[in-house]
Amino acid sequence: MGIRNNKPLREAWVIFFFLGVVMLNFPFLHIFNKETPVFGIPLLVIYLMVGWPLSILVVYIFSIYLGKETDDKYISTEPPPDEETP
Amino acid sequence: MIPVDIVASVSLVYFGLLFAVAFYADRREKVGRSITNNANLYSLSLAVYCTSWTFYGSIGRAATNGIDFITIYLGPTLIAFSWWFLLRKIVRISKEQNIGSIADFISSRYGKSAFLGAIVTLFAVLGIMPYIALQLKAVARTFDLLADPLVGTTASLHHLPNIDFQFDTAFAVAVCLSLFGILFGARHLDSSERHSGLVAAIALESVVKIVAFVAAGLFITYGMFDGFSDIFESFVTRFPDRTDLLLLGSGDNEYTHWFTLIFISMMAVMFLPRQFHIMVVENSSEEHIRRAMWSFPAYMFLLNLFVIPIALAGLLMANGDTHNADFYILTLPLQSGHEWLALLVFLGGFSASAGMVMVSSVALSTMILNHILMPVILKLQTGERDLSRRLLYLKRLFIVVVIFLGYLYFRLLGESAALVNIGLISFVASTQFAPAVIGGLYWRRATFKGAATGLILGFIAWFYTLLLPSFVEAGWLSQSILDEGLFGWKFLMPKALFGLTGFDTWSHALFWTMFFNVGCYISVSLLTRPKAAEREQIAKFVDVYHKGKTPLQRSRITKAPTIMEFVNMMTKFIGEKQAHAAISRFIGNKEIDNKGSLSEQELIKLKRFTELTLAGSVGAAPARIIIDNYLSARGSRMESVFDVFGTVNISRNASREQLSVLYDAAHAVASGGTLKEILDEILKIFTDQFKFDLCVIRILDEDRQTLTVRSQRGMSSRHFGESERNLTMDTFIGETFLTNKITVVNDTDDIGKPESARIIHEHRIASFAHAPIAVEGETIGVLSSFSRASKGVFTHEFIELFTNLASQVGVAWRNSQQTERLITLREHQREMEIAKNIQLGLLPKRVPEIPGLEMAGICVPAKDVGGDYYDYLHHDDGRLDVVIADVSGHNVGAALLMAETRTFIQSRSAFLGSPLNIIKSLNHFFYEDLSQAELFITMFYLQYRPENGQARYASAGHSPPLLWRSQDETLLRLDSEGLIIGVHREFPYEQNEVILQSGDCLLLYTDGLLEAETHDGDFFGEDRLVELIKSSCDRSPQEMIDYIFEQVRLFTGQHSFQDDVSMVVMKVKEVEQSTEK
Repeated sequence: MGIRNNKPLREAWVIFFFLGVVMLNFPFLHIFNKETPVFGIPLLVIYLMVGWPLSILVVYIFSIYLGKETDDKYISTEPPPDEETP
Repeated sequence: MIPVDIVASVSLVYFGLLFAVAFYADRREKVGRSITNNANLYSLSLAVYCTSWTFYGSIGRAATNGIDFITIYLGPTLIAFSWWFLLRKIVRISKEQNIGSIADFISSRYGKSAFLGAIVTLFAVLGIMPYIALQLKAVARTFDLLADPLVGTTASLHHLPNIDFQFDTAFAVAVCLSLFGILFGARHLDSSERHSGLVAAIALESVVKIVAFVAAGLFITYGMFDGFSDIFESFVTRFPDRTDLLLLGSGDNEYTHWFTLIFISMMAVMFLPRQFHIMVVENSSEEHIRRAMWSFPAYMFLLNLFVIPIALAGLLMANGDTHNADFYILTLPLQSGHEWLALLVFLGGFSASAGMVMVSSVALSTMILNHILMPVILKLQTGERDLSRRLLYLKRLFIVVVIFLGYLYFRLLGESAALVNIGLISFVASTQFAPAVIGGLYWRRATFKGAATGLILGFIAWFYTLLLPSFVEAGWLSQSILDEGLFGWKFLMPKALFGLTGFDTWSHALFWTMFFNVGCYISVSLLTRPKAAEREQIAKFVDVYHKGKTPLQRSRITKAPTIMEFVNMMTKFIGEKQAHAAISRFIGNKEIDNKGSLSEQELIKLKRFTELTLAGSVGAAPARIIIDNYLSARGSRMESVFDVFGTVNISRNASREQLSVLYDAAHAVASGGTLKEILDEILKIFTDQFKFDLCVIRILDEDRQTLTVRSQRGMSSRHFGESERNLTMDTFIGETFLTNKITVVNDTDDIGKPESARIIHEHRIASFAHAPIAVEGETIGVLSSFSRASKGVFTHEFIELFTNLASQVGVAWRNSQQTERLITLREHQREMEIAKNIQLGLLPKRVPEIPGLEMAGICVPAKDVGGDYYDYLHHDDGRLDVVIADVSGHNVGAALLMAETRTFIQSRSAFLGSPLNIIKSLNHFFYEDLSQAELFITMFYLQYRPENGQARYASAGHSPPLLWRSQDETLLRLDSEGLIIGVHREFPYEQNEVILQSGDCLLLYTDGLLEAETHDGDFFGEDRLVELIKSSCDRSPQEMIDYIFEQVRLFTGQHSFQDDVSMVVMKVKEVEQSTEK
């Protein structure tokens, strides 16, 4: 189960990673670097505190997809490792 | 305030809980039912990242610096997204290489360099020690906040009134943590083995951390205030001038600062020694990474959700006083009378500190032992048989030393500013490992020298730009260094190095450290080449997912140690029990030969296995040194087996070279040179391609039953390469020949056959091989090659080639033998041709002209030369002698006898007179010769007088001629008693007489005619002959002969005869008819 076997998947991770880095830096950050309150909370705080869990959610969904991919591969190559030993 | 005894008891109970959990987890691990082999626990244990510096410090930073605290968690969140390819690769490599720490990882990647391991360890200790001090300080401070310390002391001294016991919180915590580290972090020497108890305790602490923090957050946000909006709005209303805390500064550099923090926290979460330990060394399955990728960021998000509200609430409650901002989370519940919550928060912060100290001390002690102390121990070369106990105690000692160095640091600088920024300083320090690790994973060209230069310069820059200023701020060094630069050189100002101004401290430091680190790493790597040992490691790291790409390392150990020696070597460092367990794991069901040792290939594997096993306990670099030292001490060494091929990459090129050698050899065989030339050429091709010192071809000399040298190339020696060998089992060559099996000796140090051994050693031969040269299964010689330079030359592939070459020699030999035989045959044929011609010349060329008599004769030899003879002798007195004889045999001997007979008859018949006399004297004369040669002659001798038709005849056992009397149509057999010539010296031969009449037809013949045979074994026989005579007697003698032959050939169905066939036909002309003519 080499990485290169699922190259598109690997590239997706690189995209997520760089997208995250870009979204959380200048100049994106500059757009939201405002005091304007949303529901009483400054925009920047909202941006970070909502954007952050959202990115985690994306990775969560993707990791489930990744799990399926690798599970399929495990079936054909090796037994899945015990995730929780009884 | 809470009574000190309650805080102390709760802390102790919590400690007890941690010990119990750890103990339980260790027990479960031992019985093979691990509770820590679990993705959730793995994610939780990663949260050891969140120390008290973040637990308390985040709030403090949010209250003073604003929102940038969040970068410390955003960075790890982002890098976690890359874990599926980045972390997984590191984990895979570490598991395969038994890597036990980040120092081990870096040292291992760059050729198992002890030097790199040492400097990484040194820098890690330097960077982390203050961080440990910070944790102890946090515990002590929070303890003091809960229960008032004794006044008048700088340390947090407390007095337990009940038992009249005075203690120093930080010291007590250090003792407990040391104990924990010893019990659960250094149970075994094998650091690459998982520490289940430690991980379980860390996971529990992470749970306590988050529960405490979220509980406090909920209480403050919803208990003390009316939710998030309320806090924010209250804050903005109350402190309109402090709203900058909720924004980033507007300048560009503010974003640089932001980016810097994100970047260094990304690196820190991966390369802080404790993070590496928990993430990589304690990882039990790559699959857990998939869960951790989102659950670890989620944990951090949850932990940070309430940081800003708490900070703002703290500011609101403390009237903007940020003096104690770090501990708002503790003081807020305390001030509002919720002491139980404060206690929970204290336990959370305590967990954060304890977890960090536990893992760091274990990771650092392993690094110190393996990378600083181990090389020294190995230098000292203690002769002790089992060092493992001592090493384990040393490891435990280092855990204590690391923790107490932290304590000492805290006591000396406890309140100084040197500790304030220590968390970030440590982060930048761990960032220095990033280029060497990440580059090492993906960049093949990265070399040891590049990594070492980058690391050293990076750390010098780190020290100068971060640690030095913090020392100045602590008052240890003169402020002038900061303001005017070192030695007053402005361009050396630590916070504005080379005149770089306008950046915050962190960005400035990150820029310069990375500039030097990455710059040198890349440029020096490009300028240098990795050594062989390094190349091997590069493949194992970069190509960890592509095993096939890893070049096949084929090598052998000369004077290889036995299995037991390997076990003893392991015993010394990991203990007897572990060593035996390891070896039985390795051997499993491997084949062990009758000498109780493994095959050469398996020994190499055992050597690697031993090294890996040792690496798990003492680190990769010391393991390599141990093995190398051990092997060199006993005179063994590793050698590449390819140098004989003149190329490193055997698997691909060997077959090509083999093919080319075999092709050239086949070409030589087909060249048509003499055998000597061909054999010389084959050896030349062979020795040109492979560096052998001597190659010899010996072929069996059948007459003398020895193996004689037919071709030889390389060193010359009368006793060695050029001498013959007897066919005995006492020499390797003899054995090879007699058993028709290849003999390969890859190491002449230990060989049998004393006679051979003496010669071999005399000529300093390191390895040799003999291949039998066989033709159609029969051994005819031996091909040998000898090497002085290298042992283990004869690999499997090579032996195949060698055997092939031997059979090429066989083909050459067979070809030459066949040619020789053809030549002999041709020469023989020519001789026989000559003999035949001579013999045919001895037969009468013409028939004598005798009036009234017609004659014809023929001799058809079955082979080239024959033993049949006939002749006519026309004497002066008019009589005609006709003789027909058959010498037994068809060889030259028979031909010679026939010639002799002819000479005798031609010379003597004139005066010997009667046929009887002639046969008698012939018998007498030839008796000696014939009986000696075991030959005999049958002969019929007839003397005809044309004037009266009288024919006297004598026979020596010859087939009686047939006389056909055409006048009365009767057949007469000219019988005459007589033994074949050469049996008895004296024999009473008979002589008879007959009168040939006109029209008579006499046929003299040799028995080859009657014995002409069909395929079915039927003889032609006399009856058929008689019939033929009757039916053809009116023909001329020559026609009769032709007719008879024709008929005989028809009868046998063959053109040639098995035996010589001779016939003479005499026909008396019918007088009347002739007169009529």
